[in-house]
Amino acid sequence: MMQFDWTTFILEILNFLVLVWILQRFLYRPVLAMLDARQQRIKDETEQAAQLRNEAEALRQQYEQRLADWNQQQETSRRQLDEELAQLRNTATENLKQTLADEDAKLRVRNQTLIAAREAALIREAAGAAYGQAAAMLQRLASPQLTQRIVEVFLQDLLNMPDSEQAALRKAAAMLIAASAVEVLSAHPLSEADQARVTAALSGAAGQILQFRFKEDPALIAGLRAIVGECQLHANLADELAFFRRQANHG
Amino acid sequence: MNNSESVATTVFQLGPLAISNTVATTWGVMLGFVLLTLLLRFSRQPSSLRNLLEAVVVAIEGAIAEVLPAASVRRVLPFVASLWLFVLVANLVGLIPELHAPTRDLSATAALAVLVFGSTHWFGIRDRGWRQHFRHYVEPSVILLPFHIISEFTRTLALAIRLFGNIMSLEMAALLVLLIAGFLVPVPLLMLHVIEAVVQAYIFGMLALIYIAGALEPTESDISAIPEE
Repeated sequence: MMQFDWTTFILEILNFLVLVWILQRFLYRPVLAMLDARQQRIKDETEQAAQLRNEAEALRQQYEQRLADWNQQQETSRRQLDEELAQLRNTATENLKQTLADEDAKLRVRNQTLIAAREAALIREAAGAAYGQAAAMLQRLASPQLTQRIVEVFLQDLLNMPDSEQAALRKAAAMLIAASAVEVLSAHPLSEADQARVTAALSGAAGQILQFRFKEDPALIAGLRAIVGECQLHANLADELAFFRRQANHG
Repeated sequence: MNNSESVATTVFQLGPLAISNTVATTWGVMLGFVLLTLLLRFSRQPSSLRNLLEAVVVAIEGAIAEVLPAASVRRVLPFVASLWLFVLVANLVGLIPELHAPTRDLSATAALAVLVFGSTHWFGIRDRGWRQHFRHYVEPSVILLPFHIISEFTRTLALAIRLFGNIMSLEMAALLVLLIAGFLVPVPLLMLHVIEAVVQAYIFGMLALIYIAGALEPTESDISAIPEE
């Protein structure tokens, strides 16, 4: 059983060496080359994938940075807009307050004006009523004696007339045309003596001889009114009451 | 399996050389490998056979890389991978009727063992040089030189005898069972033959790989020659 054949031994050695060469040439080398190429391809693709991943990571970081910047910019813009809105709101509020204050002041002035007008109307009404009552009372008190007494006061005033009024009287008398006469209205008929005294006093005050025309006017209540051209001399209760009523209306 | 005889016989005469059935079967195995590699070479499309061969080569490369340094893997791979593939196929050939496994012939196993013996020195000298390679025979002491030499021959002899003995005994057992028990009875034994063929191929190739790794392994003088930083 344990035969040993040198021919077989040597041929087996040669056979195996040839087999090694064949397998190395046609099996191991191509397969290993293919495996190396495949590994190299995998390595390249892995490196490419890693590179792509790095680029993607860089892009992601860039995107996140941009997003953060955008958020920050948005926040800044929003804060600025809030500040502008608050400023506008404050300005509008101040303007509105000012407008309201102005309107309030106008309203107060208008109310005060209305109140003053109402008060003036009331005063005028009261003055009118007082004038009416005073006129009624004075009409009841009027009498020729009172007119006589007022004539006396009139003559006394002519004598004590200020220079300025006397100059105005003389000027008015000078401007009278020759046919014109001084019109003297009295509430009661004047006596001849009173008419002469009035004529003399007025002519003396006017500085020239004047013609007179005496008339009665009951509307004067008591007293007289002398009309010398454009100058009128009042010495009667009606003109005094009218004067007081005008003063009350204007006051 | 030829049940008439279990020894190598001359099949034909090639000039002065008597070609035994062992050599003829080996040529048949080689022809099969050649056809397989040609089939792989001319098949451009991926196929199951191509994937299988790639897987086998990758597995063998991985097994070698676990034992040898990375720089020596591709250099040793053709020899060790061929040992594994050839011994495996040669062991399994015995399952084919009328054929004998070449590895049941001591001449064939001895040839493979001698090739392993020679390859260890070939790779050792090529990798480390004559002086460094043969220095390990006198390390750590010159006294160990005879023992190293005896070890070299005994392990080579053991390599040849182990493969021959296992495969020859398997075929003998199968033949005896077939003769005694009859047809189909030795089928379980043939299953054992398959396992044994794989195991013996693995052992043979792995021992060769370990012997080569021992030759490539740096000795104490190599380590001491490294300058300290």
